[in-house]
Amino acid sequence: MGLLTILKKMKQKEKEVRLLMLGLDNAGKTTILKKFNGEDIDTISPTLGFNIKTLEHRNFKLNIWDVGGQKSLRSYWRNYFESTDGLIWVVDSLDRLRLQDCKQELQSLLQEERLAGATLLVFANKQDISGALTSEAIKEAMDLENIQTHHWLIIGCSAVTGQNLLEGIDWIIDDIASRIFTMD
Amino acid sequence: MTTMDSSVKLAAPSTLTAIDVEGKWNIVSERLQKREDERLAEIQKKREQKSETAALQESTLFFTTEFNKEKVAIEAGLSECDRVDKANLIDRFDFLSLSLQKMQKFLAESTMFLPPYEVRLAQETISKLQTQIQEKRDELFPKKKFAFKSKKKVASSEKLFAKTLPENVFQEKVEISLTSCKYENLKDRCLEKFEDEINNRDVALARLENCTVKLYGVPSAVNMYKLKNCRVFTGPVSSSIFITECQDCVFVLPCQQLRIHTTVNSQFYIHVTSRAIIEDCSGVKFGPYNWKYPSLDEHYKISGLNRNKNSWNDIDDFNWLASDTHSPNWSLIPEGELVKSWDELIS
Repeated sequence: MGLLTILKKMKQKEKEVRLLMLGLDNAGKTTILKKFNGEDIDTISPTLGFNIKTLEHRNFKLNIWDVGGQKSLRSYWRNYFESTDGLIWVVDSLDRLRLQDCKQELQSLLQEERLAGATLLVFANKQDISGALTSEAIKEAMDLENIQTHHWLIIGCSAVTGQNLLEGIDWIIDDIASRIFTMD
Repeated sequence: MTTMDSSVKLAAPSTLTAIDVEGKWNIVSERLQKREDERLAEIQKKREQKSETAALQESTLFFTTEFNKEKVAIEAGLSECDRVDKANLIDRFDFLSLSLQKMQKFLAESTMFLPPYEVRLAQETISKLQTQIQEKRDELFPKKKFAFKSKKKVASSEKLFAKTLPENVFQEKVEISLTSCKYENLKDRCLEKFEDEINNRDVALARLENCTVKLYGVPSAVNMYKLKNCRVFTGPVSSSIFITECQDCVFVLPCQQLRIHTTVNSQFYIHVTSRAIIEDCSGVKFGPYNWKYPSLDEHYKISGLNRNKNSWNDIDDFNWLASDTHSPNWSLIPEGELVKSWDELIS
């Protein structure tokens, strides 16, 4: 029995998944988290720090870390990289002016050694607002097709209506499970 | 004898006195003369000292002008490096290093008469130039740095780099493709949009100068970028407003979330149902939202904003995390300075 097998067995027992949710400020990270957890989203303030939620979903224990995206907080992101199974990158589909920033921030994350094994889910948020860029346009603009270091998926969603949130989370859990846990 | 004695005695004092007086006079005049001489010498000395300091100042001036000439020459040489072809580049760098060495020598020779402040300043300049030359050299002749790398990582990051090359092409594309609902690159205008155009849409205002913008409606989100000396009035914005790089503006707006970045000297009359935040701002002032127009009540209903909850006076500054002292970057508009009605000011 190799070390990997032991690790897999240990993880399987807990079925615990650690998800790190990042993105530029105003992307809607906290709103996604709260909506997913069924909380009120009308009173959310810009995140000064971070939020952690532990939820049960499909027999998995999800630890979701939502870290503030303001410029002054981004240097702290790396403090949260350790033992991340999945990275959820949230994009503000209205924010055309900073799409370039958004692309660069994601690219530097993907070169991060401690995130090397993580699955990447890109949420193209705010799809409920007319005038939002489609997930297809964002995929192209952010050059996602060329990511070969990580398993990835982009999905349009709306934190306000809840559209596609479950689909996205289900995909990332499935992908992580197929890598980490021995399939039944 | 006695008389003689006495006369002698008598005479003696008198002659003595005469001699004494003369002697004393001599001594005194001598002393006076000496003092006079000393005084003159002192004056002379002071005069010399004065001219000496003048000379010193002159030579300091001479040093700084010469030194700066050299500095400018090196900087000019550096900035030209990009245009020099590779073959001549090595010579160019050798020449620059030589010039810098000359400067160093010149400084070393001048330290005798330079004030310590000047010496320090000059040393700083030299070391700055040295790093500039070094940086330029590194930039134009990249040295391969030795580092341990795992093979796999090299391969992956190379791939990433290779594929991120056409970035500049993309950047332009992003810059021009703002949302269709917008005002952009305008000056000295009065601009208005109404509900049929802006409701449930995102609105962008970018690079406006001396403009008054009125949005009568319920946009989903508003993004403002590089506004100068503008006045912006909006109806209730159902989600967030994002403001970057504005100056000398007045914003009058209700929304759920408000983020203000890199903005200076501006006033905000706001209704925010969560907490507004500022980052890299200074001189921003806040007051309560007070714009009125006929269908405002109806618009509030559409937006879903809670009219009873307004934290206009509770701002989070991401550059000021101390909770016990107030951030110096923002303040409340004093009661007396609040604009009561906008109708006259903006019509």
